[in-house]
Amino acid sequence: MTKTCVDPKKARKILDRYPSGDGTSLIHALQDIQAEFGYVPCEAAELLCEHLSVPISKAFSAATFYKAFSLEPKGDVVIRVCTGTACHIRGAQTLVDELCSILNVAPGKTTKDLKFTLETVNCVGACAMAPVVSLNGEYHGNVQPGTMSKKIRGGK
Amino acid sequence: MSPKKTRTCVMEIDHREVSFPEGVTVLRAAELNDVYIPSLCSHKDLSPFGGCRMCIVEIESMRGYPLACSTVAAEGMKVLTDTATLREMRKEILQLILSEHPSSCLICSEETECRENQHTIRKVGVTTGCRYCPNDIQCELQEVVERTGITDIDYPIYYRGYEVEHDDPFYDRDYNICILCGRCVRMCQEVRGTSVLAFKFRGPEAQIGPAFGKSHVEAGCEFCGACVSVCPTGTLADKASKWDGEPDGIRVSTCPFCGIGCQVELHHKDGRLSKVEANLDPEINDGQLCVRGRFCMPEATHHHQRAKKPMLRRGEYFREVTWDESIDEVAGKLKGIKADEFLMVVSGDLTNEGLFAAQKFVRSALGINSIDSTARESLPGGLGLWAKLFSLSISMKGIREADCIIALGLDSRFYFSVAGVDIRRALKNGANLVTIDARDSNLASYTKHWLRPTPGKEGAVLDAIVQGIGKSNSGFKSVAKKTDVDEGLLAQAVSTLSSGENLAVVIGPTIFEYEANEELIDALTRLARRTNTTFMPLYNGANTRGAFELGVISELLPGVAKAKGKGVTLSDVIEGTATPKVLYLVGEVPFFDRPDCEYVIAQGTYYPPFEVDAFLPAASFAEAEGTLTNVEGRVQELVGIEDLPDSAVAGFARPDWLIFSRLAEKLKCSEFKYKSAKAVLKDISKTVADFPAKADRKPRRLTPKAKLPIDRHAGGSEGADPFLLVAEPAGFAHRGTDLASKVEGLEELALEEGFRLNPDDLGKLRVDSGERITVSVGKLTVTGQAKADKECPRGTVYFHRPVAYGGLEHRAELEPLYRLRKSPVKAEVARSVEKKRSTKAAPKKTAAASR
Ligand code: SF4
Ligand code: SF4
Ligand code: SF4
Ligand code: FES
Ligand code: FES
Repeated sequence: MTKTCVDPKKARKILDRYPSGDGTSLIHALQDIQAEFGYVPCEAAELLCEHLSVPISKAFSAATFYKAFSLEPKGDVVIRVCTGTACHIRGAQTLVDELCSILNVAPGKTTKDLKFTLETVNCVGACAMAPVVSLNGEYHGNVQPGTMSKKIRGGK
Repeated sequence: MSPKKTRTCVMEIDHREVSFPEGVTVLRAAELNDVYIPSLCSHKDLSPFGGCRMCIVEIESMRGYPLACSTVAAEGMKVLTDTATLREMRKEILQLILSEHPSSCLICSEETECRENQHTIRKVGVTTGCRYCPNDIQCELQEVVERTGITDIDYPIYYRGYEVEHDDPFYDRDYNICILCGRCVRMCQEVRGTSVLAFKFRGPEAQIGPAFGKSHVEAGCEFCGACVSVCPTGTLADKASKWDGEPDGIRVSTCPFCGIGCQVELHHKDGRLSKVEANLDPEINDGQLCVRGRFCMPEATHHHQRAKKPMLRRGEYFREVTWDESIDEVAGKLKGIKADEFLMVVSGDLTNEGLFAAQKFVRSALGINSIDSTARESLPGGLGLWAKLFSLSISMKGIREADCIIALGLDSRFYFSVAGVDIRRALKNGANLVTIDARDSNLASYTKHWLRPTPGKEGAVLDAIVQGIGKSNSGFKSVAKKTDVDEGLLAQAVSTLSSGENLAVVIGPTIFEYEANEELIDALTRLARRTNTTFMPLYNGANTRGAFELGVISELLPGVAKAKGKGVTLSDVIEGTATPKVLYLVGEVPFFDRPDCEYVIAQGTYYPPFEVDAFLPAASFAEAEGTLTNVEGRVQELVGIEDLPDSAVAGFARPDWLIFSRLAEKLKCSEFKYKSAKAVLKDISKTVADFPAKADRKPRRLTPKAKLPIDRHAGGSEGADPFLLVAEPAGFAHRGTDLASKVEGLEELALEEGFRLNPDDLGKLRVDSGERITVSVGKLTVTGQAKADKECPRGTVYFHRPVAYGGLEHRAELEPLYRLRKSPVKAEVARSVEKKRSTKAAPKKTAAASR
């Protein structure tokens, strides 16, 4: 699990974009960290808080409040299955179940090898092509059950 | 808050005309006029939160149902608090809150029985099947439910199923019964400034706690208990008294652990001290305490090692004896003793009555002057310096009301926390803080300018700043060079301070020990001449000022007059220049090993860590009445909440003054006719001009009768050695014992042992944190464990010089360093080459060899 270690140089680089002691830039900086590492690692958050003179508890509060942040590392491929009404009716749950059994993880979790993260989302606004699955932000519509295995391997 | 005149306004609440001070909320205005509006999340010390929505009201010409707790009351407002609609809505809201709160104790039909049988709350819990909540009558939710009149809950009940958090010391956390009112969070963030607690997650998972699932110890909690005190439910509860139920009574007293002298509320149950809460006394602590005052008192006095019986050495044995026997023997030993054959060492933690009786005993009953107090060590810089400091305007309130604050060498996490809280209160009202500290501290993160000189140069920086205040273009070049502080930063700090009017100067205990003392004294003298300046010089010991004022030091008589005739002093004994035949230790253990005396008497609440010939059990702060003089000179009452123990099982501890009286009587001294502590206080007020005859909380400025010497050691730390070794006085001392050895939870927070260095320096020395290093100062070489500590500047080695030796024997390892009178000193540091050994073994040899 070498991936969970944070490169302090990378973190520093992000911090340098924000004036030290300016607590108002907390959310922006957290977003940068999320973008850089794919999640908000504890060590990076600690460095950030020291830099901005913000108590770590505030950063944690924000990071757990907004769904855009994740405190756990994400897989290389983030699979989001839409479970909004339209997709639900057209079999989203079957897709979720299928993915769960292929990857051996529950929704919201990441595989041990850090290759895949499985998430469910509410309506992504593409109901016309329901059910919808997105792989790293790339949408796949009218997904048929039984095709998931091939799709995610291809999307790697 | 600055004492601005507030205007009185008039409004109408429930068709009644009421008046209120301008600027308060509708809720507060109602409270002031005895109108009840249910509320769960608002609290007088905290900013409005508007979370529970129980306080909804109707206000004419305002739409909807505004929240009373976050609406500012205005002249002429018309408010309705109790309409049928509001009642219905509140019921609805409360039901929603309760749907996530185990509510059997709120709407349970056994409720009355439950209350009646509260003294056996655990059993009640079992019989009525309710085991959710400590039911310690702290619960405000119960009251609100009762007044809102809910008997049933129409919503599905959701139990969160969290594990109760027991791991941290002092208080438990059961977030299953939390109503997410956010009071604890606001208390921790706004008032304590610690920010351990925060809301985390959201929606149904929302919870309170520290970041990243850390424990409270790891997250930097001060264990001040402020969050516990404001929690309206049983979520946060004292471990020790959680299941005690309703206390039998509450009495206001003074915290016996430090010179700030916070006012506390002592709860008692079945004749025993059960719990301590802060008193809302506006003069000193205003509802705040530190870990010692809040959580440590019951254990400190009830610990199973408390020694409560008189003991005498009989040949090989140390035997329990009667008071008469012990008084006979001790008096016999003291009869006709000469000045150079005797020394009494008195703790600065005793009550005024105990201290006065001690010196009177030595001077009148024995007719000699051989008395000394460890208070002297707590007041470094010479008695003259402190005579001067105590004559200044010292004020806790002064900190709160200041618009500029200078803090030197203070970390208020566990020590003097209340002063830290006051600083933050001032900052909230717009004050500016300038910190002068070589080490990083918990205050450094709130400070406007942090001046970080070489350790030991704090006094010089202060002096330069003080000289610069109010002057334009003063030059800081030479000071900047000397102290290693940036010149521009100095100028900025001075300009910030020049803009203020009311200045407060807070000085932590380390600073007085430093060598740049001369400049510190100059700075303080200069500041003393300035108007609108208050001081807060902090020292160790609860009644150190009392010991100074009442002459428990050989060269001082009560009232700070010069004593005639020389006596033996403590440092004579430590340095070996005097070996009295008889040593009498009163509540103090300034040695690790028994000194070389024929007969050693110890009078205290715990046995010293070495063999003595006589032990006289003293009553603890909970058992004896008396008064303590705080740093401001207030003579505050210490309430005897428990009866004096008087049975073969409980023991026979007696107040210090009474023990001295009995000894004096035996020695045929007629001046000890005291019947009570009050009589001793009367005698003090007769002897010492401006000492009150009754407990009196007025601050007093000292008027010294004698001119006393000031230790002015100027000069820097010489030598080419690369490191600066800095001693910090630390430890939770009380009457010669470290509380950490008696109070279980304190042990986890106890001061760090060994040496602390910057991680970079450790890296250069190729030492891992936790490995051992050798520190040499001149010919002296000491080996101890090294720890990485980011708060230490590079090139420094810090160690704690314990203010109490009793209780923690492993501290003997660094003992030779405790005797170093200078700090900081240049030192050589190297990786230790000694063989692997268990880190716990206390090398008694080292300690003995140094003497
Ligand atoms: S005990 Fe004090 S510092 Fe700790 S969480 Fe509670 S309020 Fe914060
Ligand atoms: S723990 Fe207590 S004070 Fe804190 S949010 Fe919950 S109920 Fe309120
Ligand atoms: S600050 Fe001092 S007086 Fe106040 S509670 Fe703590 S030890 Fe007691
Ligand atoms: S419900 Fe899935 S895209 Fe709308
Ligand atoms: S007291 Fe006003 S919303 Fe809670």
